[in-house]
Amino acid sequence: MHILVAAKQVLDPDGINSYALWGRLEVSEDGLGFNTGATVPQIINAYDEQAMEAALQIAEVQEGTRVTAVTVGSDTAPDVLKRCYAMGAENTIHVHDDEKQSGNPFRISQILATVAKNLGDVDLILCGRQGSDYDQGAVPAILSEDLGMPFITMASQINFDEQTQSLHVDVVTPNGPETLACNLPAVVAVSNEIGQPRYPSSRRMIQSRRNPPTVFRADELLPGPATEKMSIKLLTVPEVQGNCEIIEGVDPKEKAKHLLQILRERGDLNV
Amino acid sequence: MSDPILVLAHIDETSQINIGAREALGFAQNLSENTGRPVECGLIGADNSSATAEVTELGATKVYTIEDSLLARFSGDNMVSAAAHIVSSSGARIVLIGRHPSTLEFIPRLSRRIDGTCVMNVTRIETINEQYTEIEAAVYGGAARALYQIDSTSPVVVGLRPAAAEAPTPHPENSSDIVELNLELLADRVRVITEATADEGPRLENAEIVVSGGRGLQNAENFALVRELANLLKGMPGASRAIVDEYWAPPTEQIGLTGTTVAPALYVAAGISGASQHMAGCSNARLIVAINSDPDAPIFKYADVGIIDDCLAVLPELIELLR
Ligand SMILES: Cc1cc2nc3c(=O)[nH]c(=O)nc-3n(C[C@H](O)[C@H](O)[C@H](O)COP(=O)(O)OP(=O)(O)OC[C@H]3O[C@@H](n4cnc5c(N)ncnc54)[C@H](O)[C@@H]3O)c2cc1C
Repeated sequence: MHILVAAKQVLDPDGINSYALWGRLEVSEDGLGFNTGATVPQIINAYDEQAMEAALQIAEVQEGTRVTAVTVGSDTAPDVLKRCYAMGAENTIHVHDDEKQSGNPFRISQILATVAKNLGDVDLILCGRQGSDYDQGAVPAILSEDLGMPFITMASQINFDEQTQSLHVDVVTPNGPETLACNLPAVVAVSNEIGQPRYPSSRRMIQSRRNPPTVFRADELLPGPATEKMSIKLLTVPEVQGNCEIIEGVDPKEKAKHLLQILRERGDLNV
Repeated sequence: MSDPILVLAHIDETSQINIGAREALGFAQNLSENTGRPVECGLIGADNSSATAEVTELGATKVYTIEDSLLARFSGDNMVSAAAHIVSSSGARIVLIGRHPSTLEFIPRLSRRIDGTCVMNVTRIETINEQYTEIEAAVYGGAARALYQIDSTSPVVVGLRPAAAEAPTPHPENSSDIVELNLELLADRVRVITEATADEGPRLENAEIVVSGGRGLQNAENFALVRELANLLKGMPGASRAIVDEYWAPPTEQIGLTGTTVAPALYVAAGISGASQHMAGCSNARLIVAINSDPDAPIFKYADVGIIDDCLAVLPELIELLR
């Protein structure tokens, strides 16, 4: 089986969170990024790392499985591929694209679809359920449409069923776990419930330098002039107004008492 | 120009429209007041008759319905085909969809199928003109907003952020044109092997009181304190993603951007730091109580009432007092 994993680079969400929570998150001059400098690193999107993990889990039981990782992004994006390589991807592909285009999931999907078609033998495409930057989660589903493949999202476990030659995917739903199945080729988006991704091997981390990604330019892969139907014009940061009444008390017991008092005095709560 | 604003909803076996659809109708109504466009609604399900009446009361002037017993359960392939059929019949270029577990699949696939665009977690639509539409969405877990500029010549499918608008007031005297559409349904390429069945009991998203726990609980066993307090308050337990990842609580109890959104009268957060992704799921609570040992914890920025103390000491006291 040939599995293509799509991974993107994002600003570390924990770093962005700390800036936001202290009211220090500021939008950069061009309106499209933040003034966090090097203090917030660019990392692999965690859900994509989990997609990579899912691919490797399949490869462990499914003999002859190859994993290729692809990223669309600008100059720093190949760091993501180094990580995928170190985790166990055999081949990596970097599609060089302007950062400003990253808010257009239709463009990204078109690029990925071309990569998949050009590889020619891809059986399964795994993505993370969403990017932790724009939280749109649109690329995997659009990609399934672009390629005419079945689509499953919120995967927490993926197995290939030898008997039926189909994919069995456990998914997370608000009602609890379900198992779905589909034939290959397919696109599956992975959620964090798949579990902690393995740690990249340091030996392969070093080897990754000698195995650089195959590089393409986005415009080589897009059919004709890219359709620019959507883009992000401006980021802003909403203000959080703090107004918290802190409960006094000498010990936890007294604080608990005061809290219940306050809740009961409101009258709109049945406590 | 008066192409309609179209609200799409899936009608499951309850035959009712969900909270997301009601919010979308409210959002549509506000937009209609500003732009003069009529509000229309598309319903896809096994039995849409009572939902048709409901959306009419909530302001839809025309209701497209596609009914088939195969549509009671969300089926991506058929839902996308049905919705694409409705969008092209209505000629809408603004399509609104409220929160629903299926949106992660449904919205992007639909937008691609109709050769349009999509934006998720939308908070506002700022500008609509002949050339472009400007749409604001919550990004970075809610820590920031992105203004998307979108080509107006093809339809845009808008996935609304929970509570982006309030449900409209029902007007029983309203009437609407009803358009029944037909579609040949196919077996979905995705087959269901084992299906989750919804608990008969109360649902987290409707709970009036939610007590949630986070990593401050220290270990899995202490989540029992959260459950017990929730129980005594006749509410439901919730969890941060950090402890769902640790298996202290099941994914069905996760509150937040990628979990359940709640809007209870009372939300108690014990040992939760208040990351934007968590607050995205609970900031619409009427009263937020935070229990956290760190006086600088960000949760106190969102909370109305705070206790600065060890939650492992405070929760047992609350339980004791309520017993
Ligand atoms: C794309 C994405 C989606 C996400 N979706 C969600 C989501 O849906 N829901 C969600 O919750 N998170 C989500 N997260 C994760 C989120 O960013 C935070 O990491 C998470 O909410 C933190 O959980 P926590 O508050 O339990 O843990 P921590 O951030 O570790 O906070 C623990 C808190 O407990 C306090 N504490 C410690 N000991 C005690 C004690 N004894 N008594 C009282 N307080 C104590 C600490 O002061 C601290 O404030 C998402 C992240 C990303 C990137």
